[in-house]
Formats: sequence, C-alpha cells, structure tokens
Amino acid sequence: MKRYGEHRFPGKLFVVEGIDGSGKSTQLGLLHQWLQAEGYGTVFSEWNSSLLVRDTTKRGKKKRMLTPASFSLIHATDFADRTEHNIIPLLKAGAVVLCDRYIYTAFARDVVRGMDRQWVRELYSFAVKPTVAFYFRIPLEVALNRLRNGRNGIKFYEAGMDLGLSSDSEESFEIFQGRIIEEYEKIVPEYELTPVDATLPIEVQQAQMRQIVLARLAQAKRLRVAP
Amino acid sequence: MRETYGSVLPGMNLEDLSGKLIVIEGTDGVGRSTQINLLKPWLEQQGRAVLDTGMTRSDLAGKGIKQAKEGHTLGRITLSLFYATDFVDRLEKQIVPALRAGFVVLTDRYIYSLMARAMVRGVDAPWLRNVYSFALKPDAMFYLRISVDDLIPRVVFSRGFDYWESGMDLHPSEDMYESFRKYQTALLAQFDRLAEEYSFTVIDATPDIPTVFGQLKEAVSRVLGPPEAAPAVVERKAAAAAASSVPPRGVASDGDAAA
Repeated sequence: MKRYGEHRFPGKLFVVEGIDGSGKSTQLGLLHQWLQAEGYGTVFSEWNSSLLVRDTTKRGKKKRMLTPASFSLIHATDFADRTEHNIIPLLKAGAVVLCDRYIYTAFARDVVRGMDRQWVRELYSFAVKPTVAFYFRIPLEVALNRLRNGRNGIKFYEAGMDLGLSSDSEESFEIFQGRIIEEYEKIVPEYELTPVDATLPIEVQQAQMRQIVLARLAQAKRLRVAP
Repeated sequence: MRETYGSVLPGMNLEDLSGKLIVIEGTDGVGRSTQINLLKPWLEQQGRAVLDTGMTRSDLAGKGIKQAKEGHTLGRITLSLFYATDFVDRLEKQIVPALRAGFVVLTDRYIYSLMARAMVRGVDAPWLRNVYSFALKPDAMFYLRISVDDLIPRVVFSRGFDYWESGMDLHPSEDMYESFRKYQTALLAQFDRLAEEYSFTVIDATPDIPTVFGQLKEAVSRVLGPPEAAPAVVERKAAAAAASSVPPRGVASDGDAAA
C-alpha cells in the first residue's frame, strides 16, 4: 500500500482548493481548455464516483442520517474509489489529471465538524500527492458577495447545518466557511499548497497558474490524443 | 468509563455505557451466527436485554456494500472504507445507545475481522489501526478458532464456496477450492496474530454446536456475572417485558449519542 508522496507515475496531477466562491472551478476550467489546446491528454476527474458509493452518500445526505464520523468515512470511501479506479490508472497511462477539490477539502471540512486532525490526515494517506495543489485564497466577505447573486438555496450539509451553528442557513454557511478558511490556512504550509490571490483579475490568476503548470510539464512525456 | 482504541468521535460520551459489549469473532463459516442465535434467547431468558448486530447491517451503508460486492468492482481500500462507514453508523446508532440503555450487545464480528480481511488484501496494519481507533474496547472478545481442514467440510456441506470467502478477488487460483484454502489459510494467520495482539479468548470451534455453545455460555457468564435478582414478583414481570426484544431503533431515538 503506497502512501502519500510514495507514488511514482508518468502522469501529472493538478488540483484546486478553496472555499465556495473563490473562483477555483472557473480557473480549473480555463486550465483544462488550454492544456487540451496545447495537446496534452487531459482528464477532468469528477468529484463523483461509482454509482454505488454515490447512492449511499446521497441517501445519507437526503435523509440527514450522517454524523461527523460517517460523513467523513463515506466521503473517504468515495474518494478511495476515485483514487483506485480513476486517478491512479490515468496517471499510470501518463495523463494530466485535474481535480476540483482534493483531500484538503476533507481535512478542512471534517476537522471543522470535530474530527481529530491527525486521524483525518492518516485516513487519506493512501492518496496520490498532487504535482501542484493550488489554494485560492479569498477573504470570506468577497466570496460571500460573489455567491449571493448566483446561488439558489444552500444545501443542509454545505451550510454546516448539522453543526447547529445557527438555525438560519445563510448565517450557518458564513460561520462554517469562516472556520473552513482557518483550517485551510493551517493546511497550506503543512502540505505546501501553492496559494493564488483569488481577488486578482481572472486572467492574471490564470497566467500564474499556466506558468506554474508549464514548468512542471516540461519534463513530462506528452500523451498524444487522437485527432 | 469506557475506552476506545485511541480517538474519540465528536459527540460521543464514554460515560455511563453500562451495558456489556461482547464480540464473537472468527472466520467465514465457523459458526458465529449459529452461536449468537443460541446465546441471544439464553440471555433473554435470564432477563437481560440483548441487541445483536453484525457487518453490513447499518441503515446507511449495508445495502450499498451488498450491491457493490455483487459487482466485484470495489478496490481494496474502497471496500475497507465502505465497511468502516457501515461500522461507524452501527456504532453510533445501534451499539452505543444500546450500551447506554444497559443492553448486552452481541456483535457478530467487530473491527478485527475487517482488519484481518483488509490485511490479507495488502492494506497496511497501521493505517487500519488508525481508521478504527475510535472503536470501543469490548468487554470480551471470543474467537471461534478452527483449522482450514476442519473448516472446509463445514462450508462444503452447508452453503458451498462463496466468491469473497474464497478471496477470488485476489485471484489466488482459478479453482474455487484451491482459492478457498489459500485465502482462508492467510486469513486464519491474520486472526491468530490479532488474537494475540488484542488478547482474544480463544474458543475451540472444532467440536459440535452444543459443545461450543456450552463453552461460550460459561465464558459469557463469567463476563456478565450472575443476573441481578428481582426482589418482588411485580418487578420480575417488568424485567421480562423489557427483555423481550426491545427494538434497537427505539433506543437510538432517545440516546444522546445519536447527536
């Protein structure tokens, strides 16, 4: 069983992290397009996995039967399935794999829910260490302002309603996200995430990302995609 | 106060878990469920309330695991974590509330079987110990021990060789018999190792059902002590009513561990 940092694959793994409204998905989408145009075999690894695990997760959320511990373990199961059946085979094949959220999301979220910090880190120690993990740093207020327009209703667990922080989902979401930011800030130095100032113009952030990614792809074998 | 193997889950109060947690461990086909089906009514006749639980019986993940195993599609770490999810759901929603209500909890397998099966599949022992470090330490672990040679006829003449119980996912051999033998030998070696590490009480499961049951009754009695005597007739009736299979769900709703 290979641990974090012990895997050696020809492919490259780039992940984005940050709270909702940080703009990380937008940036990853732009990176994806560019990499494909450059001729790299690029795969976007979806945050959902085999139907079976996903069904259990969905059921648990819908019926609100998840505790912090079962929330943590069902998501770890889901992530393990993606690692074993998706991420690892793709990296072995030499692909450039992109992930919107990775283990650091679980580190932040589960610890805010009261799980032991070391326990969660060890739980996910089977994960492949990303080539680069970008962290989109943004003040809470700015992210909330961005979300206020586009959002239609926050889900129960997304707002951290299970923590009983507030009976108002909007307020609960704000407190919850604030705590998530605090956890992220501990993770950034510990796991050497690459911070990106998410208040900068979109093009500036994207240019920074491309520069960093390109430097890591220079020595990579280019996986030719059939035209 | 009750102990865990390390970490404590958020919201879990380890005080006042006055019931008894009794684990029956052993490999596939050794007769664990047969013995539990005998132990439960025997304990209930003594006026004790009993909850029996076992793998894949959680509300949350039981069905998902069964379906996933039919497709033979899950990786070894995924399968381990799916079982851990099932386990934590039962721990929080069934086992802890029952212990708080003073039940005897009989569990068909515990974390040890899950660890043994995962280790045979190449999953790290330290990683597994961390995953399950929130598990409560039981009051007793009875390990029904048998040799592969004695196990094989039992399985052949009852339900036959099963895909997973033969470790076919590990492809040890094309032949189901060869696979079963190899896989169960490896599994028993892991069980023996765990028996030492966690100080299981070993029960020889080779003899017939009544003999094994006799040994188990004696061992369980030692753990539970004599049933408390009821001073008045009225109270004895009440105890008997309480003992007649109180459904675990009802317990869960008023237990504070469900928080």
